[in-house]
Amino acid sequence: MSRERVLDLVGLVCRLALGGVILAAGLLKVTDPTGSIQSVVAYRLFDYQVAEMIGLMLPVIEVALGLVLILGLLTRWSALAGALLMLAFIAGIASAWARGLSIDCGCFGTGGPVDPDDTAYLEEIVRDAALAAAGLWLVVRPRSLFALDTLLFRRPPAPTDTDPASPHTSSSVTKGAS
Amino acid sequence: MPRPTVKTAPPPKKGPSMGLIGGVVALVVAIIAVAVYIAVRPDPVGDGDSASITGGGASSPSALPGAGGIRVGTGGDDVPAVHIYEDFQCPWCGLLERTSGEAFIEAAERGEIQLTFTLMSFLDGNLGNDSSIRSANAAMCADDQGRFVPYHQALYADQPEEGAGWTDEDLIGIAEQVGVEDIDAYTGCLDDEKHFDYIRDMQTRSNQEGVSGSPRVFIDGEELGGEDMNALMYDPTALTDILAARQ
Repeated sequence: MSRERVLDLVGLVCRLALGGVILAAGLLKVTDPTGSIQSVVAYRLFDYQVAEMIGLMLPVIEVALGLVLILGLLTRWSALAGALLMLAFIAGIASAWARGLSIDCGCFGTGGPVDPDDTAYLEEIVRDAALAAAGLWLVVRPRSLFALDTLLFRRPPAPTDTDPASPHTSSSVTKGAS
Repeated sequence: MPRPTVKTAPPPKKGPSMGLIGGVVALVVAIIAVAVYIAVRPDPVGDGDSASITGGGASSPSALPGAGGIRVGTGGDDVPAVHIYEDFQCPWCGLLERTSGEAFIEAAERGEIQLTFTLMSFLDGNLGNDSSIRSANAAMCADDQGRFVPYHQALYADQPEEGAGWTDEDLIGIAEQVGVEDIDAYTGCLDDEKHFDYIRDMQTRSNQEGVSGSPRVFIDGEELGGEDMNALMYDPTALTDILAARQ
């Protein structure tokens, strides 16, 4: 296997790890709006109105972002969004930790208070940091195996017998083509 | 008219541009997220006339307006206001009730504290059942017939393992056990899900007030810390000490 192909494989692993976790987190919360809102309230960072908005909209965004990452669509930008999301989560968890709150991160559904001995802030931060790193890899080197991007944007179209003067061709933007 | 051959074809054709796809995807996601927010957002609960509580008909006799909770006992505004936030499916709430429940109720009935229970229902979403809201409704249906306190106690006395929940038969059986007289009316109250709106509003109000879990105990608006909570869960006399310490 060539070096390029190994790097593409690493890209695939990063995509699936980041996308898979974000998708799972979104799916688990999207069916439980009450728990999702309450998990955000537990951080005591936002007014209720804002917490409610985040609690209801974040899971939808996570599901979409997870799917886009798994499909490998617009990898650089979706990975950037995923990495930024992870950094935001790390900030939230760290702030809960620093303030001495005893909460579950609520990453995968109902969070909220837990026994002080059961908090797992460090594990949660390490996990999110690893996922942020996976995202940053893809920002730097978005190419990966089995990505929709490859089909849509990178591979020059194979010569075909279709009429090159078709409207599709004539209207397409060629700026920046390699 | 001669056509260019395939081999000399102009630059490779591209599909829709990356920016266009990205913009469309982002827009669609944003629209869905906003639609979900608008559709799922719980009605805000308040004390004023904007509250979603429709009034006396929707709640039980001891239920305070504005989803303020279930008032127990005779304590007025001149004694410490004790507010307990709980979910009938929460094991720690069960422990709290089995250890200190009697102390709370007795103090409330002697008029030494003003006791309020807010029945939360967030564990339904977590556990994937509907026993929190159904048992809260069952307790309020018992309140309709003046039996909230014994019902509350009996629910926790026989609390199933977390997640197992209660069947309607269980809930009716508890009603018979605590002396709810009109079982037909009681069963109708369960079937009609009579107090569900009020219970959902209690959950929303809890979150509005920053309560994000159960059990929580507030005395005069001040949340009890871990040490006091621990004491209440393991020592039946703890409430006396906690109240004395606040004098």
